[in-house]
Amino acid sequence: MASSSRQAVTAAFRGACRSSRGQWQPLNQQFQALRIQDSVPGATRCISTEIEQPTDYNSIRAAAEIDLTPGASAVERLANARPVPVSPSYFTRMPKFNDRFLALERLARTYGNLPRIPNSHVQHVAWQTLEDMKLSLGERIKSTEFARCLALVKKLHTIHPKLKPRAVKEALQPFKKEVQPFKVEKKEVGVDKYGRAHAAGKRKSSVALAWLVEGTGEVLINSKTLPEYFGRVHDRESALWALHSTDRLGKYNVWARVSGGGTTGQAEALTLAIAKALMVHEPALKPALRRAGCVTRDPRKVERKKAGHVKARKSPTWVKR
Amino acid sequence: MSAPNSLRCLLRPSAAVPRQIAAATWTPSPWIAPFSTTPGAGKAGTTPKKNVPKPKAAAPRGVGMNPTGKKQSMKKFKKAQGAKTAKPPLPGERKAMRKRIQLSNNNALPVEGLAELEPGTMLNPKNIGTMAALPGAMQDNLRSLEAFKATQFWPMFRQPATLIRSETVDLMNRMQSAASKKETLRLVVTGERITGKSLLLLQSMAYGLQNDWVVINIPEAQELTTACTEYAPIPDTDPVQYMQNNYCLKMIQAIRKANASVLSKITTAYSHPELPQNIPINSTLLALANAAKEPESAWVVFQALWKELMRKGAARPPVLFTLDGLPHIMKVSDYRSPAFELIHSQDLALVRLFSDVLSGATSLPNGGAVLAATTRGNAPRSPSMDLALAQREAEQAGTELPKPEPYFKGYDLRSEEVLKTVSVMKLKGLSKVEARGLMEYWAASGIFRATVDEKAVAAKWALSAGVVGEMERVNLLTMHP
Repeated sequence: MASSSRQAVTAAFRGACRSSRGQWQPLNQQFQALRIQDSVPGATRCISTEIEQPTDYNSIRAAAEIDLTPGASAVERLANARPVPVSPSYFTRMPKFNDRFLALERLARTYGNLPRIPNSHVQHVAWQTLEDMKLSLGERIKSTEFARCLALVKKLHTIHPKLKPRAVKEALQPFKKEVQPFKVEKKEVGVDKYGRAHAAGKRKSSVALAWLVEGTGEVLINSKTLPEYFGRVHDRESALWALHSTDRLGKYNVWARVSGGGTTGQAEALTLAIAKALMVHEPALKPALRRAGCVTRDPRKVERKKAGHVKARKSPTWVKR
Repeated sequence: MSAPNSLRCLLRPSAAVPRQIAAATWTPSPWIAPFSTTPGAGKAGTTPKKNVPKPKAAAPRGVGMNPTGKKQSMKKFKKAQGAKTAKPPLPGERKAMRKRIQLSNNNALPVEGLAELEPGTMLNPKNIGTMAALPGAMQDNLRSLEAFKATQFWPMFRQPATLIRSETVDLMNRMQSAASKKETLRLVVTGERITGKSLLLLQSMAYGLQNDWVVINIPEAQELTTACTEYAPIPDTDPVQYMQNNYCLKMIQAIRKANASVLSKITTAYSHPELPQNIPINSTLLALANAAKEPESAWVVFQALWKELMRKGAARPPVLFTLDGLPHIMKVSDYRSPAFELIHSQDLALVRLFSDVLSGATSLPNGGAVLAATTRGNAPRSPSMDLALAQREAEQAGTELPKPEPYFKGYDLRSEEVLKTVSVMKLKGLSKVEARGLMEYWAASGIFRATVDEKAVAAKWALSAGVVGEMERVNLLTMHP
């Protein structure tokens, strides 16, 4: 029984350390020398490791001294080799974290004197929190240690980006959050291979997407022509105001999708979308479009209703008593 | 030039016919149009109402009736009504004003160099994008055919003129070739709102009148099917068909007036014993048409006239039969049979006559054309017509035919049957060249004040997508700073 449990434990170890089996083999033998005795005889049995026949304790000897004589053959030296963990922090509770910490310290020693940039110029990065780190590594990390580690991270992060070594960048990478909320990637704006420029516009609760292509002045909105879609001439004019104010009415074709809101909102959402798409084609028109009022999104929206009011501001009718 | 407003075209069959003038007190005034498209109101003029209580002056709310029941008015006396100084309009006068068609305006500038329409003008592709004025005599004829509509834009110009667009030239050439080959052109003009469908019919009528065709027009199909004219079953028909005598009489009078010169050249080839009046063989068709004096005999006379026109022979002219408002005859009508069942529009004899020619069941032996225009303004839904027209369009374009919805029950097979083999002409917006021609005409007439250049044309064209009616709205009916 006892022997089977011991074998199970060793087997588990083997399985866990299969990759470095040769190195851990002697460890198995060392386990054979270990014994944890029950302190109270007759008490419920705990998990223990026992030697099959622990007869003679005197026969247990420490391993022979390593022979480092240069003349010794490779085979002899191998016989004297000792298991050494790969990581110096193998016997700590947080080896992965410790390793990273140590690596950072090493980098700080090497590259700590490189020129830095002021904090205000540093790219804003969302670093992992203690909780994130605990979860991702599956280790119990002390908060003080983590704080020291993060200070080191931030210090290394301020190295001038042009001089920052690749090793530092790679070492900092695992400390960053996966999703970087501060990272704003500028979208590539331009005319696609079919000559279309695409832009979106909003007004009130309407959203418009417009594609602009050089053409003869045809307009399709939700696969309807302009007069079919907007019965009111004023709405048609405001939809095409960006083109009208820059004398581009017969020069571009518009294909648009609009949704949400009412007719006025949709028409004015289209104004913005078409203006933005037009600026992709002809960026020099921006001042003219700004003067025409087509560049800025109108932020006005329906004011929210308030408690105690009938609408946003309307009070209930005053009744005496 | 014709009179600025013709009252004749306002008259409906029931009014045009000198019916028994029942009340001695009532004298027909030219200003009273004793008809109405709305059923029930049509009799207001013909039969003077007796013992009808005078409509009370509308009581102000809260006085007397007290519908809300909130607060009782303590006033003892009603307020004295202000003395009425203005004379109220006579019955029918408002409607007459509303339906008035004014074809000229002396305040508008005369357009220099505006060519008058000639028999071959609309055949020549070189004329696309130009305007052509309607000659004075033809205006009267078109007026009697009721080709002009009150919603059209005639009163803003010195002289009525139409734009010759590519579809016009296309249609007129097809009509001409059909007439020369003695074939029947069967065509439905369709398109979105205010794309010029009725105007295209008007142009075809103008073409027919100028080229000595016999032109028959049903200006509003809804007058036939919305139960606003009298109807009676035709004896000895199975299934029963219904004649609309008053409408027929009006139509014969219109045909007679518009086509007088052509009809006076053609002589009858049959004796028509069923007519109330003896019309000997070799008398003119005009005389035959004149035989219709009473609504009772109108349907018989119309049949005789139709029979004469359908006679194959060298001396017979081509016939143009047009109808505006196709969806109205592509459904069950509002009329009821003696068993109080709704009558299908195709059971009305006049509608049936038109549908037979349109469907190709009867062909015009001397050539000609039958044209129907759909309408978008006051049109009933006719899913069968929509489907059939979409299918014909797909056939013409060579694309896949749209299929009927499998679980939809509203289809009308009789209507679909009529449109099985017609050709469809779908009107869309004008081209920029045509739009420019139109805008230049407006500018020359003095109602469009801006410079007409490429920029202006492109701007207005983009706002209206080239649709003619929208061009008018954008250019002429919208205020610009």
